[in-house]
Amino acid sequence: MAQTDTTEHVGLARVLGPAHVWALGVGIVLVGEYMGWNFAVGKGGAYAALMACWFAGILYTCVAMIDSEVTSTVAAAGGQYTQAKHIVGPLMAFNVGLYLVFAYTMLEAANAITVGFLVDTVATMSGHEGGLDQRPFIILAIMFLAWLNYRGVLATLTFNLVITAIAFTAIIILFLSTSGILGVGEMNHAALMSGQAAMPYGWLGVLAAMHFGLWYYLGIEGTTQAAEEVRSPARALPFGTLAGVMTLAIAATLTWYVCAGLMPWEYLGQSGVPLFDAARLSGSTFLMVLLGIGTLFATLASANGCINDASRAWFAMGRDKYLPGWFGAVHPKYRTPYRAIIFLVPIALIFALGAPLDQVITFSILSGLLEYTFMPLNIILFRRKWPLDTIKRGYEHPFHPLPAMVLLGLCGLAFFAVFLGYGTQLVAMIVFYIVVSLWFHFWRYRFVNRGAQFTMPWPKPRGY
Amino acid sequence: MDLWDVLELAAWGASALFGLFIVIDWIRTDSTYSEDMLTSSREGELEAMTEESHRG
Amino acid sequence: MARYTPPTQGKLGQIIDVIVLLIMAIGALYIPLWMGLAGSAVTSTAVENPTWESLGQNETMVAQWEKLGFADAASAAEMITARFDYSFSVGALLAMIVVIVGYYAILLRFSEKEYREVIAEKFEE
Repeated sequence: MAQTDTTEHVGLARVLGPAHVWALGVGIVLVGEYMGWNFAVGKGGAYAALMACWFAGILYTCVAMIDSEVTSTVAAAGGQYTQAKHIVGPLMAFNVGLYLVFAYTMLEAANAITVGFLVDTVATMSGHEGGLDQRPFIILAIMFLAWLNYRGVLATLTFNLVITAIAFTAIIILFLSTSGILGVGEMNHAALMSGQAAMPYGWLGVLAAMHFGLWYYLGIEGTTQAAEEVRSPARALPFGTLAGVMTLAIAATLTWYVCAGLMPWEYLGQSGVPLFDAARLSGSTFLMVLLGIGTLFATLASANGCINDASRAWFAMGRDKYLPGWFGAVHPKYRTPYRAIIFLVPIALIFALGAPLDQVITFSILSGLLEYTFMPLNIILFRRKWPLDTIKRGYEHPFHPLPAMVLLGLCGLAFFAVFLGYGTQLVAMIVFYIVVSLWFHFWRYRFVNRGAQFTMPWPKPRGY
Repeated sequence: MDLWDVLELAAWGASALFGLFIVIDWIRTDSTYSEDMLTSSREGELEAMTEESHRG
Repeated sequence: MARYTPPTQGKLGQIIDVIVLLIMAIGALYIPLWMGLAGSAVTSTAVENPTWESLGQNETMVAQWEKLGFADAASAAEMITARFDYSFSVGALLAMIVVIVGYYAILLRFSEKEYREVIAEKFEE
């Protein structure tokens, strides 16, 4: 911290290593294995959920490859927002920034709802009469994590590293002890997935399951938000992101295996906390306590990472005057974007206390999906405006433009899946983004500096 | 009144405490430092700063 | 080309902008909820005197249901018979495609226009 004594300037602190990047990426997403992914089972049955998991895995591999190439070159807080600003244009950047903020803030709200639900479940199991008021626990989760984020990024992400590692280990232990590798196996895949339970909705169910299949990985792309706080972004970001996708593919498959082998799909598809239920079914108190703690930690890690990412994106937009400049402030002592953190607290609370879980999740997934649709456009334009020989990339993804095409196709499928269940929200949301875009183009953009917002030391793009 | 009722009250109290800390620190920070200094962070600036310190 | 100098926005203007943005965002989520249009239709078929057999559950499934705390078939019947309705009209599908493609088209068009200005100013020297 030798260079922090600048009196005139104050910026974010560059203190993170690759492990923090991994913790940020996986920490946000791992909660998806503890809750939410199983709605894919409800949408199409257990086989459909597994297929959706793998299709989503391909989708996110493309996302990670594309994102790593661009991020290893554009390293700034704001992540994809800053990428869009330099490669596609200001309006796209504004939209991408909003996708990020909404995807993460809604995910944070979903996590807080789950914390409340989990506390309620534990209270009921311990014999508490008359139900529990979940609100104080939901509010506490959000306030505590906002406070942690406010106090500094190093402590925040070190905390995330510890609780994410514990939650991940809990999944592995559950798998080892129920699958028969250690001790007696309790898996009944064949019997639980026979007859009508195999493919209850046919192939349409597989498509529909893609909607919540994204939930296995949603948020991994948030690693780029840490770009201004990582010590060597060009190396740490691609490494942390790709390692994160692999971790998640493993965790997702194990989770599916354990849950589908223990619960009838009708129950699994509607369960609030599937891994905790799986532990309950194993009959071991140790596993139950472990997975209960795992669920709590995973939700906290996720909400924590979400506050981190959403506030970085909001801050970056404020700094460029895309949003009121007031938000572009950095705390002189804690070196965090403190006003962005404060502002997003009441928003998360409104949705956590007022909206049903599946709606909040859908809002989050839709914002994510719009963002993934932007990525192929982004990489195609990036390669066209700055071919490989014009600027040096920290990482070059192979087989271009194949990953971009695959990603675009899978996004199309996912849009259709969302349309099957939540068509109205889909249209409402896009109408929202259209209105906001017009507002930005015709009003808000007048406050933005034109040339100065392009900050990368790149040559002039081809064709301009 | 069992353990869970106490926990509920404790959660309300702790939330208020965290909220209070943030708000007090926020007001104090905003009144201690000038607005220009607080919003002095620029994109890409950090890059230049770290490179300079590497060279130096 | 003359450099563009943006006006400085006052406190009040900043607050108004944030409020406008918030109203739009909260509206986007809550309007479908209030209008009752949100969420996919889940219907449970009512079964008279359900048994595990009539619900299509085999022995293993029954054992797991019981472990989960569903003592008899009646208590689990609503959960087991719940089904989503995936029927949709081609018109609605086309409308969705038009909205999404139109949205990205607007986005790319306006962005390109703004981007040319940025590049012109940045690399004018």
